[in-house]
Amino acid sequence: MTRYLLKRLAFAALTIFAALTVNFILFRALPGDAVSGLKCRQCTPEFKEAQRAALGLDQSLWQQYVLYLKGLLHGDLGNSWRPPHPTVWSQLWDPIKRTLPMILLGTVFSVVIGVSLGLLAAWRRGSMLDRTATGMSLAAYSMPTQWLALLMVLYLAGWLGLPTSGVKDPDLEIAQLLGDVGWWELFIDQLRHMILPALAIGIVFAGDYAIITRSALVETLSEDYVLTARAKGLSRWTVIRRHALPNAALPIVTLMALSLGTVVGGVLVVEYVFSYSGIGLTVVQAISERDYPVLQGAFLLLTVAVVFANLFADLLYPKLDPRVVLR
Amino acid sequence: MTGPLLDVRQLGVEYGARRSMIDGIRRRELKGVRAVDGVSISVSGGDLVALVGESGCGKTTTAMSIAGLVPYASGSIIVEGHDLSTLSSAERRARRRRVQLVFQDPYESLDPRFQVARIVREPLDVHRVEGDRDALVREALHKVGLRPAEQFLHRYPHQLSGGQRQRVAIASALVLQPALLVADEPVSMLDTSVRAGVLELLGTLRTEGMGILMITHDLSTAARYADRICVMYLGRIVEEGPAHEVVTSPKHPYTRALVAAVPRSDGAPRDHSLMPAGETPDPSRMPSGCRFHPRCPVLASGEAARLGIADRCRGVDIELEPEVGDHRVACHAVTVSITTHP
Repeated sequence: MTRYLLKRLAFAALTIFAALTVNFILFRALPGDAVSGLKCRQCTPEFKEAQRAALGLDQSLWQQYVLYLKGLLHGDLGNSWRPPHPTVWSQLWDPIKRTLPMILLGTVFSVVIGVSLGLLAAWRRGSMLDRTATGMSLAAYSMPTQWLALLMVLYLAGWLGLPTSGVKDPDLEIAQLLGDVGWWELFIDQLRHMILPALAIGIVFAGDYAIITRSALVETLSEDYVLTARAKGLSRWTVIRRHALPNAALPIVTLMALSLGTVVGGVLVVEYVFSYSGIGLTVVQAISERDYPVLQGAFLLLTVAVVFANLFADLLYPKLDPRVVLR
Repeated sequence: MTGPLLDVRQLGVEYGARRSMIDGIRRRELKGVRAVDGVSISVSGGDLVALVGESGCGKTTTAMSIAGLVPYASGSIIVEGHDLSTLSSAERRARRRRVQLVFQDPYESLDPRFQVARIVREPLDVHRVEGDRDALVREALHKVGLRPAEQFLHRYPHQLSGGQRQRVAIASALVLQPALLVADEPVSMLDTSVRAGVLELLGTLRTEGMGILMITHDLSTAARYADRICVMYLGRIVEEGPAHEVVTSPKHPYTRALVAAVPRSDGAPRDHSLMPAGETPDPSRMPSGCRFHPRCPVLASGEAARLGIADRCRGVDIELEPEVGDHRVACHAVTVSITTHP
């Protein structure tokens, strides 16, 4: 077990290293850089050269890469290229704090909606209910996230009375500065702001969960041990709860870990639609400003998150299925 | 206790009789497959009855119906004198407890996530059995030969051999102290070396007064361990009688073919004149008359014509008729020869 863990950790480090190298090269493979886009009165070629030198862009790619790695080893993600050059970490930390709970809520939505849809479909396999649930899952699965988000702004937000943009109520923010607002009110306000974006992500990913849950359940429901349980006199629901669903949990947990990467893709567009200033919006802004250090930092964090989510899922497997032995 | 433990009368089970919505719109009549058609079996305490037949003949469907896993369309299943269809669902559950099922494949029939202790205990929990359930679990494991039971309690199915798994499956059936055990091909997935052990175990249970209905496609196993043999073909029992008689003097052409097909230790060649022609027909297009007639060597050899029954074979359905005592056969040729040459 310890050996397995060490092996996996080494492998994780390797994966992260490879990913950050690719990130580094990809951004620089694009034509132009942070300075070439500058347009202003004092932007003479000399001024631009000076700026390049200040950002270290006058060095060779190789030197830049070594510098970047050196910084990383010291836990330094670098500084933003955008004046006044705050550290990347300070640029990312606040958005992450806003995005993480939103993703979490979205995942809860998608798992709850998806697993229940898949369960219904598998339970009544071949029925009208199954076809409806499967159709809905496929529709959700293939729906463009931003389109769904826009529809929600148009039709759902007003009806539910939920805010459609931002992360908190500006009035409340002022009140907070004056110090006459309780934490509970702030919490509720932030929750209200993240419900719609989370729901958009939740619905789109619910399709995946529903389809996976249905197929996994249909498979376990056809197993003999399910028949055995029925023969012993267990009710249909108890059989599903006690025998079929736990045995179908493996692919669902795998999907949870794997979808983390794609969820961030969804976050990008959803945060844009809802002007939710989280990590997605930060990335969009960094792209338009060619702020490579911030992009590299964001993608590095994403890589680390995905790699560790998968590692965690793998470590969870033996708990879900005693036949799995980690070597 | 008077009467048999299990009395199945004229059992009929249909599959696929439900019409889909599209079929309804197109007004297409869908005829269900009658997988089991008028099967009657009775098993008494201390009896080991073997239900023999080839794949797809309805053996397993019969077993599942008896265990309540497949609804039956007609006939009745009487357990210890109570007709299951007339009981309330609670009473039926209590009755069903007396009939337990052991499945064919011990690699599939045990939940891989459950330890042996939990697998064997689950039926006790479901039926809310009073008393020290853990002690009952250990007792059941001991009974099926997994000794010392403590050594097996906390193992998972994948840590056991096939024979041990099947014993666990039997233990989880025995733990409810059933009167009747329905074993669906209990040894067909096991290595030959461990088959005898499991079959001996069933034999021991029988001598302790339990009724056992063993489903098998292996006539030699049935001949060796069963008291009575029922031979099934296309959803019907075609011959039924004491095991020894059915095997040594089979009457129905199908049974004769089955007996002739058993490989013999002296290497004697098979008698090909007894072999049925072609394949088992599709049960959704049941042959008219005797359902064995399209393949029947008696009809093909012209013997039926000589007896003057060829038309009857093709046109008139036949059910089990007593030949001698409790040996019964469903064959026009046999019926005719008895009435003409008593």
